[in-house]
Amino acid sequence: MISRLRSARRSFVPRGLTSRPLLIAVIGVILFVVSLLGGVATESFLKVIPNLDVQSLVAIIFGGIPLFFVGFYFTMGLLWELNASAESESADSVNWLPISPSEYVFASSLSTEYTYSPGLMIGLGFSLPIAIFTNNLPAYSVLVFLAIIASMTGSVGIEVLRSALARASSSFNRVGGRPVIVLRIVAIMLILVLTQLLFNGFIISNVIGSLVSGASSLSFVPIFWPTLAVTKALESDVVASGLFVILSLALFGGLSGLAVFMKKRFWVLPSTSIHLSGKGAITGPSRLGFLGMSQLSVALLRRELRSATRRKEVIRLIVLPLILPVMIGFPFFLTPASRPSGASSPPAVSAILGAPFLLGVGLGALVLAMTSMGQEGRTLWNLGALPLSAGRIVRAKLLFTSLITSIGLIAAAIVSSLLFSLSIYSSVLLLIIGFIVILAEASLGIAIGSRFPDFSEGPRPRFVTVTGSIIGTVLGFITLGLMVAPVVVAIVLASFGGSQAFVSVAIAASGAVGLAVAFVGYRLSIGPVEKILSDVST
Amino acid sequence: MALTEPAVEVTHLRKMYGYNVALNDVSLSVSLGEVRGLLGPNGSGKSTLMKTLVGLLKPSAGFARVLGLDVDRDSMMVKRAVGYVPETPRLYEFLTAAEYLDFIADVRGLGFQEKSQRIKRFLGALDLEGKEGDMISSYSQGMKQKVAIMAALLHHPKILLLDEPLNGLDPKSARVVKELIHELSREGVSTIFSTHVLEIAEAICDRITILQHGIILAEGTSQELREKAGLPGSGLEDVFLKLTGTRDVQDIVEALLR
Repeated sequence: MISRLRSARRSFVPRGLTSRPLLIAVIGVILFVVSLLGGVATESFLKVIPNLDVQSLVAIIFGGIPLFFVGFYFTMGLLWELNASAESESADSVNWLPISPSEYVFASSLSTEYTYSPGLMIGLGFSLPIAIFTNNLPAYSVLVFLAIIASMTGSVGIEVLRSALARASSSFNRVGGRPVIVLRIVAIMLILVLTQLLFNGFIISNVIGSLVSGASSLSFVPIFWPTLAVTKALESDVVASGLFVILSLALFGGLSGLAVFMKKRFWVLPSTSIHLSGKGAITGPSRLGFLGMSQLSVALLRRELRSATRRKEVIRLIVLPLILPVMIGFPFFLTPASRPSGASSPPAVSAILGAPFLLGVGLGALVLAMTSMGQEGRTLWNLGALPLSAGRIVRAKLLFTSLITSIGLIAAAIVSSLLFSLSIYSSVLLLIIGFIVILAEASLGIAIGSRFPDFSEGPRPRFVTVTGSIIGTVLGFITLGLMVAPVVVAIVLASFGGSQAFVSVAIAASGAVGLAVAFVGYRLSIGPVEKILSDVST
Repeated sequence: MALTEPAVEVTHLRKMYGYNVALNDVSLSVSLGEVRGLLGPNGSGKSTLMKTLVGLLKPSAGFARVLGLDVDRDSMMVKRAVGYVPETPRLYEFLTAAEYLDFIADVRGLGFQEKSQRIKRFLGALDLEGKEGDMISSYSQGMKQKVAIMAALLHHPKILLLDEPLNGLDPKSARVVKELIHELSREGVSTIFSTHVLEIAEAICDRITILQHGIILAEGTSQELREKAGLPGSGLEDVFLKLTGTRDVQDIVEALLR
């Protein structure tokens, strides 16, 4: 059963890996050795830095490891939950085989623990040489024990969350209606943003800094107990360290008990039973008809939008283009350093200040488009049996991706304008270039997604194969690079006394590159989609 | 198309899945207004034949025509003329039944008045009125089957390809569908209908084709099949079991009980 559950957790880890436990162990050992060498190199580097407070640094590294692993395991489990297909989970044979709640919780958390164990090996490998060279081996032994307990705590924590989500979904579904759909989107956006905050370097270092400096209030927060056990061990405070070890074990035990109790009460996520009003479901001529969109195009677009906003495993993809610009904006908001202002620069030059946001928008468009064909899954026959051309389907997916990503683009343009005091002209220019970035990345994404679709609807659908994801990401970055290159060259030329007009010409060249990629991507998508539609083997 | 030309014509059709032969040199002809039953054990190629006719699968060899149109070359025209219900219809579970049917009607190019009337009429006939606002994910298998049948009929298809369409239907709805097939047949709609329920095949099909291992074993009216099997006066089940060479069922049951 552990093996069965492990192979279900395959979205971040290839199936070939999860189905071979020995391979995970081998990778873990390799990563341990590599990290160990990294730790040796780091220690040698730190030695040559004068007046460095090594003990504080060791406290931050050692103390950070348990805290990081609680978050890491919990986040991996959380992301798995967000991506999981509720339908698939409800129909999972595990639900009706004679398995007790405690057996399930034990096997599931152990499978999470083992699947991501190479991550743990990196942390332990890296800290071992530091422990040896700074004479902190006793504290290291406490760290090893607590890192495992912390990761188990994260794994069991996710089991509690799963049952809680099943319970919440039942209530949500009973309430029904469109508000539930909106609430679900907002909730997933918040979860993803908070998850990213969890991994934010600024926040983690501030928290550890507070712990090291003895902020007593944090002692009452259970998630910090493993970290406190390690930092107290480093301070040779055996009693306090022992107390926090016991508290950490109690936290793990308590969460395990709670997970079993909740599993017993709320075993599985029920199928969605949201009732929407029948009125208005039969649609009249769309207002979009004035924009030249046919009844057919509007129907396809509406279908895409409903799929994106109502399927749990797809919502996380549509929020990506919306939250990526926010995440990229974190350093700007969190760094106290003064920000550049575009008020005094020519419009074309100041518009470039917003370019980092376009990276998030472009990558969001790429991911959304790459997964758009695979999302059809076993419902693909619906499109295959209808009189729909491949070009029509590609255009609908392109339109949908552009529409969703444009919301992120507009948000990015507003934030850039406020942060860098951009003029209206610069903001409009940023929007135009941003839209071309979206078109290029979306077309490229569909071309890749239709060549490497993953139609499997396992507990955690991936929608695009691992090979496709890698090729798509590389090509996506190359496209962005090609678009950025003329601007970089123009800025370099301008800084050496060249005309500022070069920048305007370069932005036009970037736009031309983007449009060319969009056209080629679109053309390259038609063939594979035609092939998919004419040989639907599902 | 001339009146004498068959509605569906399959000639030396072959379909391979890798090295597995799903259809092997299949030839058949279905006339206008005919209801043709497809019988055969699981994996005999019935669904593959249906999928090929609707353009969901490319033939490996041979060809198939629907209303004189090549299913491979003129697939768009064929899809416009055909209504298809797959063996296990996977619908868009994130839509309500009304939204799903609305989507199908829009893609099929039905006007607002027509689609509203037809959707309402079908929902009433198949007892889904009042439930059309529920997401399909909460439907039972039978309710999903009803939605798939409605979707296949919305656009007045000239050819119906129904792959075990009565699976999971309640007796009243099954009766409605059977009567509907009869009526449509009188209006000239040709139907290819696969089923494992031999009584149904006998009751509603003009002719029956028995497939096994991708090959046509026998074809004809139920009476002709009885004669071919040398079992005049027997039930169609005995005829089917004899033609498909199934060994004595009692032996199998005893082996399972051992």
